[in-house]
Amino acid sequence: MKNGWRHLVVVGLVAAGGVVVFFPFFWMAVTSLKTVPEIQRVPLQVAPDRWSNFDNYREVFQRQPFGRFLLNSALVASVSAVSSLLVSSLAGYGFAKFRFPGRDVLFFGIIGILMVPFQSVVVPLYLWVNRLGLLDTYAGILAPDLVSVFGVFLMRQAIEMVPTDYIEAARIDGGGELGIFWRIVLPSVAPAMATLVIIKFMWTWNELFWPLVVINSPEMKVVTLGLVGFTNMYFIEYNLVTAAAVVSILPVLVIFLLCQRWVVRAVVMSGLKG
Amino acid sequence: MRRKIWRTISIAVVALAVVMAPSAGSAQSKKLVFWTHWEQNPEFNKFYETRGKDFAQKHGYEVQVVTVPYQGYEAKYLAALMGKSGAPDIFMGMTHHWCGQYDFCDRMPADLAKVWDENLPKYMVSVGKWKGVRYGIPIEHGNFQQMYINVDLFKKAGINPDQPPKTLDEWLAAMKKLTVLDPKGEPTQVGFALRHKGHPVGITDKFLPFAHAYGARMLSPGLDKATGFANSPEMVAALQFYSDLVQKQKVASLAFPTPEDAFGQKRAAVIFRESWFFGWVKKNAPDVSFKVYALPCGKACPGAGNLFPWTNMVYKNSPNKQAAWEFMRFISNPKDDLDQHQAQGILPVWTVNLETAYVKARPDYHSTQEMLKQPVPPEYYHPKSNELATAFGEAVVAALYGKGQPKPLLDEAAAKMDRILAD
Amino acid sequence: MLGARGYMDRQRRAGLFFVLPAAAYFTCVFLVPLAESVLGSFYRTQSGGATQFVGTRLYVKVLTDPTFWHTVRNTVTLLFMSVPLTAVVALAVALGLHRLVSLRWRSVWTATYFLPFSVSLVAAALVWQWIYDPVYGVLNHLLAQVGLPPFKWLQSFDLVLPSLALVNVWARLGFDTLIFLAALQAIPGEYYEAASIDGANRWQTFGRVTLPLLNPQIVMVAILEIIFNFKVFDTVYATTQGGPAGASQTVIMLLYDTAFKFFRLGDASVIAVFVFASLLLLTLLQWRLFRRQVEY
Repeated sequence: MKNGWRHLVVVGLVAAGGVVVFFPFFWMAVTSLKTVPEIQRVPLQVAPDRWSNFDNYREVFQRQPFGRFLLNSALVASVSAVSSLLVSSLAGYGFAKFRFPGRDVLFFGIIGILMVPFQSVVVPLYLWVNRLGLLDTYAGILAPDLVSVFGVFLMRQAIEMVPTDYIEAARIDGGGELGIFWRIVLPSVAPAMATLVIIKFMWTWNELFWPLVVINSPEMKVVTLGLVGFTNMYFIEYNLVTAAAVVSILPVLVIFLLCQRWVVRAVVMSGLKG
Repeated sequence: MRRKIWRTISIAVVALAVVMAPSAGSAQSKKLVFWTHWEQNPEFNKFYETRGKDFAQKHGYEVQVVTVPYQGYEAKYLAALMGKSGAPDIFMGMTHHWCGQYDFCDRMPADLAKVWDENLPKYMVSVGKWKGVRYGIPIEHGNFQQMYINVDLFKKAGINPDQPPKTLDEWLAAMKKLTVLDPKGEPTQVGFALRHKGHPVGITDKFLPFAHAYGARMLSPGLDKATGFANSPEMVAALQFYSDLVQKQKVASLAFPTPEDAFGQKRAAVIFRESWFFGWVKKNAPDVSFKVYALPCGKACPGAGNLFPWTNMVYKNSPNKQAAWEFMRFISNPKDDLDQHQAQGILPVWTVNLETAYVKARPDYHSTQEMLKQPVPPEYYHPKSNELATAFGEAVVAALYGKGQPKPLLDEAAAKMDRILAD
Repeated sequence: MLGARGYMDRQRRAGLFFVLPAAAYFTCVFLVPLAESVLGSFYRTQSGGATQFVGTRLYVKVLTDPTFWHTVRNTVTLLFMSVPLTAVVALAVALGLHRLVSLRWRSVWTATYFLPFSVSLVAAALVWQWIYDPVYGVLNHLLAQVGLPPFKWLQSFDLVLPSLALVNVWARLGFDTLIFLAALQAIPGEYYEAASIDGANRWQTFGRVTLPLLNPQIVMVAILEIIFNFKVFDTVYATTQGGPAGASQTVIMLLYDTAFKFFRLGDASVIAVFVFASLLLLTLLQWRLFRRQVEY
């Protein structure tokens, strides 16, 4: 039941907000098409001299093996997202629908990890990764990213809303616990699962500090390190950083749109109305 | 839906297997690992690898250069040097931190130390030393500020660009002539591009030439006391002069972007920057016609001073430290010094190289000579230099923003610095 | 009775089994380094690198340091500015997006709001520095169009924290919007139908049906936003570096500087313990106060 003008107002506001949010990216994209003197030019011109000037993009890939960085980031972020999805969903279900001694303490203990500043854990964690011989390896880069605390939180909150009757009914029907988890619980929380995948993927994709500390070889570097490679202690190469940033956003967007499609299909199939 | 999930899981398992596999590229030949955060000097860094290949023919070790991002390098160095096995053999940083605050450096062999002591310009001899012992080799010369002027703006203001101001008073007068105000009284062009944002350590670095020109120093000569020095009458006068540039004389502005951008955009006529800067101007603002001169003097001349003396050091726990020192010996000669620095367009370090054709052809040749002739200004190579400079820099910034008078701000900073020193 | 007890036992075992992988992982990867870091708060790094046990001396030192409390004040101010705004706007946007029946458009606009969250903070900081530039920034440019005077934004003592808060809101909006949107999409249509049969109008539906059903997510978003804004580092580090003169220095920036620029790991661990304790307290408070068990 859409009220005609009210609907338009809502759409209009959402769209206007979207434009405001998007504007900085427009500037970023435009800057990536400018040459260095153009960026310094006064008074500032919004449009680049040549819209087809892709020199910066070319230099980004020439100066550093940026393609390899993209691959590394994609691999690391994908594994991190999938493993988070699995383990966090299991844990979220356990916390949401079961009672066992120490449940709340354990839950808060896990959430507590979010409250610890990573900067204070990085050196001890590095020393452990070093002892295990995992420096400069994919496993080392993934070490702190395999399970998401936020994921546990998110899945718990989402699964909490699944009517317990369904689960009880399935138990009476004799489904094993894992089976119930797989067949009843997970499909009901498809949107949350998609959200977790997107956010975890993206989080790991944009991580800078841990990869900086644990990666040494150029062929193991990730996209964020590549980006930072266009800045140094004296100045920032605006033209290259913006070009690299535009390149680095594209895969994230792809994952995002894929996950959205998954959610849509899941919602439609499970009969829940959006 | 189910099948899709199984497919996803099997892909994930395969990916995990790939991920768990050890990384490729474990060195077959022996390598000396060299860590540097000088990302802006790739040619300079590549030189180590090129020469490393020559070195390998005689000694069997190649050199692998790892460039670490400057942002966050301290954390990476600390973790690696504490971890021993993942650590570099040679690394670039500040001696008083890694050899003073920590004990990660190997002592330089006496013969090599002698070579360097004898061949460095006098202001650089103490760079790379801690408590009189040499650990590191300085790699950067000309890392002291000099005066860059925009020739066209000078001419437009009626000042002869070939006769720069020599004293602070002359300089201030020139700055006033070079400042253009709009009808509302706000500057559209300033005389001096002043650094007012960023980490306080950088702010301190940019203010120190003025402090030294007033005859002030941040710490006692023994680097053990701040009160009486950081808040001396000379320092107060220097900070007053500096903050007046913004607050009273209006020849510098807090509304302008970074000083480099302001100079490159021709909105500031003068900037104090180190010798690498003219490379930046040539690349980013090729239409700015500039000249380089020595800094103006006050009671004293600012001289060649710096807060960030970068050196190459050898890791104490490296299993390859003999080979590392051999490599350092291998490249410790005038030719390598000249070749390496020339490849990047920066100043070589050996005194004998300062009269080569390459250096003579640089726009900063005369100004560098002039400043090197001046007495060496105070240096602050102390393990806690970052923390001390931060406390000091906060006072400077507060004064620039008009959030207090120089004297009370400096008194507070000096007290804080003494607490840091006493800790 | 035995059947019931057996059932409860099976329940307990199953529950533990489900949370085991996550618990084991976090113990290995975080608990151990965390314990080492906390232990480190009782040690002082001496000149030369050796550590010396000093008991609670560092705690006294840090907790009586005015600079430390200054950064805490800055952080809390930033929190109060960012968190409510982010949560409210995210909810509003999610509701708006939810009403877009055309799913293709919804994807596009959700992606747009999500973009800031997907970009590296280095690049985002660059962009915002330009927007806030006092002379060339588009913000002052727009203000001039309406006749307002220009502001110094990131270079102003008074405006730097609100300016950074805005950047935080921009960056985190997509995250919370996504969470709310997912939750809205999971609400079965029957609830809305039942409400409209009961004759509830739009606002009543929102207040009695939507909001309570979103309670778990609202609680989570509130807790997460407080945690993330308290820990804010990258945006500040990349834009103002704590300036001008410490006006925007946050607790984590102080922690980072203390650990890696001042080389005082013990002091940094004390700050970390403080952050952890404060956030734990805040989270527990929120959990107790705002959670409501919803009957299904």
